[in-house]
Amino acid sequence: MSNSRGVTRRQLIVGAAPVVASVPFAGMALAGGREREATHLGHAATGHAAMIGPEVPAPGGPHDLDPLTYPPPALPHQPGRVRDYELVARDVDIEVASGVTYPAWTYNGTVPGPVIRATEDDLLRVGFMNGGSHPHTIHFHGIHPANMDGVFEVVEPGGRFTYEFPARPYGMHLYHCHATPLKKHIHKGLYGAFIIDPPEPRPPAQELVMVMNGFDTDGDGENNFYAVNGPAFYYARYPIRVRRSQTVRIYLANLTEFDLINSFHLHGDFFRYYRTGSTDQFEYTDTVMLCQGERGILEIDFANTGRFMFHAHQSEFAELGWMGFFEVTD
Amino acid sequence: MEARSVAEGKERRDSARWRLFALVPVVLLVAVVSLFSARGGSVLELVGESPPPADEVDVRRVEFSPGEIRIRVTNPQREDLTIATVTVDDAIVPYTLDGSATLGRLGSTTIVVPYDWVEEEPIAVGVTTSTGIQTTEEIAAAVETPGPSVDGFLGYAVIGALVGIVPVALGLLWLPSLRGARPEWLAAFMALTGGLLTFLAVEALAEALELQAALPGALGGTGLVVLGVAASYLALAFLAGRLGGGGGTRGRTLGGFGLATLVAIGIGVHNLGEGLAVGTSFALGELTLGTFLVVGFMIHNVTEGLGIAAPLAEGRRATLGRLAALALVAGAPTIAGAWLGGYVTSDVLAVLFFAVAAGAALQVVVEVGRYVSRRAPGGLGSGYVVGGFLAGLAVMYATGLLV
Repeated sequence: MSNSRGVTRRQLIVGAAPVVASVPFAGMALAGGREREATHLGHAATGHAAMIGPEVPAPGGPHDLDPLTYPPPALPHQPGRVRDYELVARDVDIEVASGVTYPAWTYNGTVPGPVIRATEDDLLRVGFMNGGSHPHTIHFHGIHPANMDGVFEVVEPGGRFTYEFPARPYGMHLYHCHATPLKKHIHKGLYGAFIIDPPEPRPPAQELVMVMNGFDTDGDGENNFYAVNGPAFYYARYPIRVRRSQTVRIYLANLTEFDLINSFHLHGDFFRYYRTGSTDQFEYTDTVMLCQGERGILEIDFANTGRFMFHAHQSEFAELGWMGFFEVTD
Repeated sequence: MEARSVAEGKERRDSARWRLFALVPVVLLVAVVSLFSARGGSVLELVGESPPPADEVDVRRVEFSPGEIRIRVTNPQREDLTIATVTVDDAIVPYTLDGSATLGRLGSTTIVVPYDWVEEEPIAVGVTTSTGIQTTEEIAAAVETPGPSVDGFLGYAVIGALVGIVPVALGLLWLPSLRGARPEWLAAFMALTGGLLTFLAVEALAEALELQAALPGALGGTGLVVLGVAASYLALAFLAGRLGGGGGTRGRTLGGFGLATLVAIGIGVHNLGEGLAVGTSFALGELTLGTFLVVGFMIHNVTEGLGIAAPLAEGRRATLGRLAALALVAGAPTIAGAWLGGYVTSDVLAVLFFAVAAGAALQVVVEVGRYVSRRAPGGLGSGYVVGGFLAGLAVMYATGLLV
């Protein structure tokens, strides 16, 4: 009698898709700093419009992600030229969402790691120093000898290894640690974008890199936060400024762990999507779906100016941080 | 004379010395503890590293009002917790706090989330701490939480009266019939009272233990139950002694009005916990406010009235005023419990209430047992007594199924 718990409860509809994607963003503007005073918020404005600018709870400063967002420039085709990179694996606590730190494993202190760029037929030479607490490697996608594959040559903590191979084929690739357990080493943050430019340069464009990722901060095998290039909601707080007059080219890769797929959806326009970017075949669309490890190149010619949202079309990912804006001006 | 005072002085000095010696362990303990707190870390290192704190918050209460969700959370661990992110149905949402985001041990805060929740649909709220650990609380169905209103206050009072006072009063109406009953039948009914109370005691104890298991460890679950049971048992034993104390040497065994009062108190304390459970469940939308439920409680509680009536059947005639007082003692706490549950809700309070109820009921069972063993023709082993006791348990079980 005395209760309650015996009474039938409705089962939770687990995994039900969020009902209205826009609702939770209502009044995001009111979620300010760490010390908040209670106020009755009433029914704040609904819609994405409220979820932009300085009020968005995203970690970091306005230019923190510049090195990851804007790739180094493409160099002209010059076979045999050596391209040197130095990557150091380091254990670093990073802020993956406002106020949430995550004990990450990084290449050079960031998740994702630095953008590695070469032109086809360059000789890529990547020095790797393992300054982390676990054995690591770098496994590059692309065409290279078996002993440069970053699978067998496991680098112990304190150890060094130099990866050296000609960069090919052109396209958008990626690199990541291939030490076991693979899932752990990837979702801890050891991955990054790897661009190989074609011999015939691509037309000039405003180039951006976006590596889709997620963070499982409580170790339950599900991501708590999603984003591109690291912290949740970063590009909602700091919209990416682009000009309408020039093509916007995005090098996009999916390195989200745990979830089978991720996606990219652009508001208010269409883009050409070159899968892997190794041929000139493209698809004209506003939404692409990428499997784990899949990547491609997007080219947008904005028809209009203004603020245009981009996000994963999995509403859950979008509402857990994988959402941002383009600020298109003339 | 002088020798005597010398002896007295020596005695006094001895006694003072004895007291001083009693302080020695305390002083030494303080010394050892402070030494260990200062240097103990190196000792613990010999054994191994401590795992990191769980960093989960304790979600105490989730309330819904139009366009808003309020989440009351407590830090159950020794280490500080900092609230970083709040999610509703796996979506990060804006929120405000009524204080600092960092909570010390047992510190609480209320998270206010502006949210357009959907009536009667399941909803899950999540609180993520600065170390990324997410605590999720699933609510079976979102329903508006009634605020403190005159209507609500009256409503709880009426429900409390319906499930508490009314059935007990109705049960007391069996008194005239009981008065006509033969002694062995009267003994059977007294044993039935014992059965009812045994059922209530066990049930309250189980409830207290179940609730304490969900409490944060820092609040000391099982100890709280033991404390509640012991305190109420002893308090009632003391009361029983006072009530029966007037009757000289034979007053050790209570009978008549004294025993009926004790039974009423035992039942009343139990009904306080019952009201608390009902009020809380209504307030949190865990129970449907169905007529069926109220009817179930009424039928269930009528038997409690019978339990109070049984000891009254013997001895002096009780006035109507006294009967009304007994009904109030047994039934009115339901109203107080419903108010508390409906508006305050504290799991600690609930654990304590049920523990107190268990102890009180147990004590009354002992008291009833003494009475029956002395008065029943054939003693405790007679068929009437055994049958009555089992019938009491069975009646409680059967009517409990209605709830």
